[in-house]
Amino acid sequence: MTKPLTSGYQSARQSGYLLCSDCNKLHKLAMEGHHCDRCGVKLHSRIPNSLNHSWACLITAVMLFLPANLLPIMTFKTFGQGEPSTILGGILQLLERDMLFIALVVLTASIVVPLLKIIALTILLSTVQFGLETNLRQKTIMFRAIEWIGRWSMLDIFVIGILVALVQLGNIAHIEGNHGATAFAIVVILTMFSAIAFDTRLIWDNGIAKAEAAKQTSRNHKED
Amino acid sequence: MTAHTEDQLIACHECDLLIEEVENQPGQDVICPRCNARLYYTTINGIERLLALSLAGLILFIPANLFPILTLKVFGQNQSQIILNSAMSLFDGGLFLIALLIMLFAIVIPLLQLLALLYISCSLHFGWGGRLLRQAMHSYQHLRGWGMLEIFLLGVLVSIIKLKDIAQLEIGLGLYSLAALIILITLMGITFNPHQLWQQIDHHRQQSKRYD
Repeated sequence: MTKPLTSGYQSARQSGYLLCSDCNKLHKLAMEGHHCDRCGVKLHSRIPNSLNHSWACLITAVMLFLPANLLPIMTFKTFGQGEPSTILGGILQLLERDMLFIALVVLTASIVVPLLKIIALTILLSTVQFGLETNLRQKTIMFRAIEWIGRWSMLDIFVIGILVALVQLGNIAHIEGNHGATAFAIVVILTMFSAIAFDTRLIWDNGIAKAEAAKQTSRNHKED
Repeated sequence: MTAHTEDQLIACHECDLLIEEVENQPGQDVICPRCNARLYYTTINGIERLLALSLAGLILFIPANLFPILTLKVFGQNQSQIILNSAMSLFDGGLFLIALLIMLFAIVIPLLQLLALLYISCSLHFGWGGRLLRQAMHSYQHLRGWGMLEIFLLGVLVSIIKLKDIAQLEIGLGLYSLAALIILITLMGITFNPHQLWQQIDHHRQQSKRYD
């Protein structure tokens, strides 16, 4: 591991540069809106409308989180009998059959991770939106964690797909999917989109602005 | 900072810190001094490795999709399942969106990623035209994270445990191929070095321009 040395922390934007989002080539800030000569994408110093898009996806995800958890996701019928079950119902069924480990896996992927992701994104977006003071490195780690773990929530959707395809034995046993699963899938996709739209550099811009404001006030105090 | 030329400067993609570029040994990561993001690193024989991995991946993609993953046996009835079935039976059940998503995440996107990498590594290794190199790179970079075969595999395991008391299950050749394919795709993700590849593409384009 090598850490380059820097004389003071200054962002590329403050120094008049911008970074290509796809090929990481450094350009002059004046190239904003033009195309990168190496990879051809449109250059932006920060992702345009990052906060708006990220909030929009997040709020929609929050609204769909209720139907995703309250509506049934699948129905298991044996000899014509069987009730539709929700995500939580499926986990409880696993617990009843003493499958604690697998119940924990499903609980983590389907309920804990989406919930944590929604909370974490709300914290990150609020910090930038309202300019709150915060631990910057911690926030960056938080973002990396949700970005990495978010996709695993699709687990339940795949399980439904596999079970529905496998258990098609007419009247003997039969599994079908229900629309709660659609809502759940949209929640997962939207939180992933929200994380993609969020520009991590905004956390640091906000932090730098805060630090400079603090310096300014302490200077004013000294002058007084 | 201003004393340096533009060529020696880079910026962190996660926190936008402006940094002087430093020399690094192969296998040595250069990380951002402020946010600890990995800035760049050197991969040895990156293109050759990607070529081998994507070719092997494409070969394995065929049995992983054509042979049954699981077979269910109840009262003398057999029900086999391949990846595509999971999408098709949901489609028949009226859950169109989920059917589409499974189709994309478990079949289409992994295939596109394999093809994109095969194209990139072939063009750079053999010095072919590579007219679509940029597009292939963009597609691979943006599709990262959307190929979800490893999650599909975990889903298969959860399904096995859920059904094991109810019925007899048999693991098919498709599941073994799928597991091997996931290992290859993970290795591809590790070997794919965007910083280095873009430089090589830049070099490749300048060379082919010279011959034009």
